[in-house]
Amino acid sequence: MIKAKQKPITEIKGLIAPYNNILVLGCGTCVTISFAGGEKEVGMLASALRIAAALEGKEQTFAEATVQRQCEWEFIDAVADQIQRADAVLSLACGVGVQALAERYPDKVILPGVNTTFLGMAVEHGVLMERCRACGDCILGLTAGICPIARCAKNLLNGPCGGSQNGKCEVDPDLDCAWQLIYDRLARLGQLDRLATIMAPKDWSKDFDGGPRKIVREDLKL
Amino acid sequence: MKSGSNLEKVLTAGYFAATGELGPPKSADMEVIRRKAGLLKGITDAVNITDNQTAIVRMSSISVGIALLQLGLEPTVQMTCRDRNRLAIQSDLLGAAAHGVKNLLCLTGDHLRFGNHPTARGVHDLDSIQLLSVVKTMRDEKKFANGEEMDVEPRFFIGAAENPFADPFDYRPYRLAKKIAAGADFIQTQLIYNVPKFAEFMRRVCDLGLDKKAYILAGVGPIKSVGMARYMQTSVPGMDVPEEVITRLKGVPKDQVKKEGIRQCADMIQQIREIPGVAGVHVMAIEWEEAVHEILELAGLLPRPKV
Amino acid sequence: MTDKHDTKPLTPAAEPLPPCAAACPAHTDVRSYVNAIARGDFEEAYRIARESNPLPYVCGKVCAHPCETQCRRGDVDEPVAICALKRLATEKHDLRKGHAPGLSVAEPKQDKVAIIGSGPGGLTAAHDLKRMGYQVTVFEAFPKLGGMLQLGIPLYRLPRETIEIETAPLKELGIEFVTDKRVTDVDALLADGYKAVFIAVGSHVGRKLRIPNADLPDAWLNTEFLRKVALGEKIDLRGRHVLVLGGGNVAIDVARTALRLGAARVGMTCLESCTKQPAHPWEIAEALEEGIEMFHDRTFKEIVAENGKVKGVRCVKVNFRGFLPTGAPDMDEFPETEHILPADLVIFAIGQGPDLSFLPKDGSIAQTPRRTLQVDPITLATTKKGVFAGGDAVTGVGFIIDAIAAGHRAARSIDAYLRGVDPASVQPPEPEQLGDLKEKTISHIRRLKREEMPILNAETRKGNFDEVYLGYTETQAVRAAQRCLTCGAGATVNAEKCIACLTCVRVCPYEVPVLERGTAEVAVDQCQACGLCASECPAKAISMKLYNDNDMIKDIRSAVHRARGNGEPVIVGFACRYCAYAGEEPNVVKARLPKNVKTIDVLCSGKVDALYLLKAFEAGADGVFVAGCLVGECHNEKGNVHAAQRVAYVKRLLDEIGLGGARLEMFNMSPAQCADMNAAVSTLLTKVKELGPSPVRRA
Repeated sequence: MIKAKQKPITEIKGLIAPYNNILVLGCGTCVTISFAGGEKEVGMLASALRIAAALEGKEQTFAEATVQRQCEWEFIDAVADQIQRADAVLSLACGVGVQALAERYPDKVILPGVNTTFLGMAVEHGVLMERCRACGDCILGLTAGICPIARCAKNLLNGPCGGSQNGKCEVDPDLDCAWQLIYDRLARLGQLDRLATIMAPKDWSKDFDGGPRKIVREDLKL
Repeated sequence: MKSGSNLEKVLTAGYFAATGELGPPKSADMEVIRRKAGLLKGITDAVNITDNQTAIVRMSSISVGIALLQLGLEPTVQMTCRDRNRLAIQSDLLGAAAHGVKNLLCLTGDHLRFGNHPTARGVHDLDSIQLLSVVKTMRDEKKFANGEEMDVEPRFFIGAAENPFADPFDYRPYRLAKKIAAGADFIQTQLIYNVPKFAEFMRRVCDLGLDKKAYILAGVGPIKSVGMARYMQTSVPGMDVPEEVITRLKGVPKDQVKKEGIRQCADMIQQIREIPGVAGVHVMAIEWEEAVHEILELAGLLPRPKV
Repeated sequence: MTDKHDTKPLTPAAEPLPPCAAACPAHTDVRSYVNAIARGDFEEAYRIARESNPLPYVCGKVCAHPCETQCRRGDVDEPVAICALKRLATEKHDLRKGHAPGLSVAEPKQDKVAIIGSGPGGLTAAHDLKRMGYQVTVFEAFPKLGGMLQLGIPLYRLPRETIEIETAPLKELGIEFVTDKRVTDVDALLADGYKAVFIAVGSHVGRKLRIPNADLPDAWLNTEFLRKVALGEKIDLRGRHVLVLGGGNVAIDVARTALRLGAARVGMTCLESCTKQPAHPWEIAEALEEGIEMFHDRTFKEIVAENGKVKGVRCVKVNFRGFLPTGAPDMDEFPETEHILPADLVIFAIGQGPDLSFLPKDGSIAQTPRRTLQVDPITLATTKKGVFAGGDAVTGVGFIIDAIAAGHRAARSIDAYLRGVDPASVQPPEPEQLGDLKEKTISHIRRLKREEMPILNAETRKGNFDEVYLGYTETQAVRAAQRCLTCGAGATVNAEKCIACLTCVRVCPYEVPVLERGTAEVAVDQCQACGLCASECPAKAISMKLYNDNDMIKDIRSAVHRARGNGEPVIVGFACRYCAYAGEEPNVVKARLPKNVKTIDVLCSGKVDALYLLKAFEAGADGVFVAGCLVGECHNEKGNVHAAQRVAYVKRLLDEIGLGGARLEMFNMSPAQCADMNAAVSTLLTKVKELGPSPVRRA
């Protein structure tokens, strides 16, 4: 799912500096699971910002609320009163939620409190890793279930490059070389011969390079 | 003849090839090119020009290639996939060929993180193997990457790089096969310091018959100092520097190390020449182009054949 | 005064009870009072224990503690020492505050109730009815109050002063006690204006086996023997060779008493085998230590006599399997094993029953075939309207706590009866009990040795009637209480907030939370209340039954407030009780801390949410610390490691906002180091002084 990381507090302070009554609005789905913007993080951030405001002698107040998902109109409608009362909303949702708020409350200043970072998973408690780049044209069936677009630093389709060493990527010694992983997995599956086939250049038009994307389900839309 | 380049003719004629390398400056100063070209003129079959090597901005490889042609040398233009999309690549290739560039080395490119513009966007529209296919298709089928036809095709002698010591080690010969199948006519390897391990690699390469399908040039280079040797051994991914190499340099007084490095390089060339399947050497004297002449002389590779 | 956020009394019958409370016939809120002791709040523990039991001092010494038998800690290593902890709570209670601080008395009512018998059952019913406002008169046949407490339990187990502590306040309540008065006519009481009667006469009549010579002068009866000793008769058994027939708890009381009266040799013999002897194992052990001999697997055929003098008991070895419903023993005799156990004094201790000779001859108050009183088990009503009965008079010999429970039940019934309400309707339903601990949970629970009860050594004690058990020290009690698993008082998940992120599943040291039906579920009977899931949950969907964030934030503000005042930096510390008070008495440790340092106690530093650290600074603290156990020593495996990670995280945050991360520290300490928390706190104080007062001030 979407993974995010809270912005450094100095940056957040800069964003909220011109405002007095700030609503710190959390989101109960992806950012909660990434430990970046759920109810708990809202509580901690609001507390830290109060301390920071007191340190600077600022008259800022911080209200706290969390909605189930900021990317749903109904859920953000439910906090309309609190949003109206605030001078600015510091949203801890991912970029989607922040934009939904801004679209729904176009007269309100909506500020992002987290950096939406990647699509990924928790490989262990506290460690989140990127797994998908939402390229719009999934090739996982060809690469034994390991994505070279998201996990290879050069998104090679005919990897590995010459920088692969001991199964690690030249970019970061703690990062697995995706193509080493693909090689090993294909070997396990008895499909190493797939590597002989040259994978053609990717159709990036299905990714963002084709422009912002949209999915319409004709059967659902009235 | 695929391109009719000097390098192609030397290799086709069966001579042991020797190519050199020129690193462009981080400025618009043509004088640097003239000076370096002067050091390499006439002593190599072709000169590689690096393309924003290590992701550091330098004068472009194609422009230096054109300059070398004007100065009477034969360039091998290097092109990475990191900085250009397929439009820019094909566009540059048309231009390079129109100017007379005949040798092209296709590379993935070092990651931006190593360079001096780490915040830039890495393009990687194509990877090196797809690039090889594109260049070959342009040359042999006169078609662009999208299938459209062209009148006058760029005719390149196509090269690819290989690192015999990278992982997965067992896969490297097969990767080489894939590059050759994609379009590589010649191969230049990364710097070799572990000759026995390289010999093992070449044995497998020959088992696959790849030496018959492409010309394989081993990368060699002189070491300037013990510190440089140690650095390459410990801090450069994909480099295999055996301890004997460092020991040899340690065994001479400090002011003799450079000379010893040159001698060591020449000795390695001679050892490598003995390995079946090796068609030549690619000498990389990084920021030490002056050394190339002496190395090739000591290795008995001068004068270069006239074809 | 310690911060109380860890205690919430259990609502009776509202949710499954932990096995201790369920096993207790009076459903004492064991969990809450043990928890109070674990944080050093002994007065609170006393208050809770006293709430359901008017005889806590007595029970603290001699209760048969069925709670401990069911204690789930026993599945891990050994049960929690629940009884000894009650004793400690009573010993720490300041009696000047009254025997029952906080318990009220209703407006006086006109109705009179008579209670026959001043044993634990009668005393409890009297206490309850008096508090309900009734006029209560207790008739006691013997000169002293207490029933079997006074007349059957030896002094070395229950000093007489302890009984006095319980009975004196009952007199002050206004209960009328009439001693030396044996009621012979129940109907007369009813005619005399008593609207209801509670018969609690106990089982004071011992039984003899009808074997030859059972009535010789030196063939005594358990109940008479113990009663004589209790009433002060001097019995000198020096040089005698005593054999007690019977193997139960009363038989042991008889044997140990005989020993203390000077008997040269004391033996006990019974039908049961060594492993099936029907007495408390600890009593058997203590008797053996004192040198009492046990002869198991025997039936007694005859008391052997010569010229009217007892010489011994002729016994035959048996293979005893138990008593049949008729009361007859199910066993095989081995005649070839016949032998004589020598003795010159035989005391029968094979059982006892109630003296029901006072009941109306017309049978209007019916008896059971076993010759105990017949009652409705829910209401305790006998067959005569307005007459109720309970305790040993109904059940035969039982535990004190059973009688106390019966006294409560009878009081409820009588009150309902007098108000014209169906007595059955006022009795609470039997509560549900928690399930067993799974092997998986047990495997993760840290083993902790049960504190040994200090006891007089056998050589010292067997020659006198001094109290044998000495009671726990405060330090022992706190450690003993910390072994409690707090069954059923752990984490609850708010399914509406839970987003199934799996954090609780991943951090629980006991593998308890499961995610099988969309949201996390924490099995109430497995949770060990470590608090890690609650403090790690990013959705704030988990709260702990015994405390929550709001309670903690209140405590934090209170601590900051109390630490202020003398110009010194305000330091708030979160102290893990497992290390902090395990080595030394809580109040001693706290008293050593300077006035500007206030601690908030938690059972495990893992409960300290990062939010609490920030809240402390938000409330105006100048410095904050977390004191947890040494790495590897955490009661909950890694609670202290989680705490350390959070402290590091908040330190960085404090640096970034400019308050200074140096104001926050984590100390890992052993119990011994905690005794001198000052040393650790002083390093923090120095840093805080350098940084100056926190600019954050709260009203």
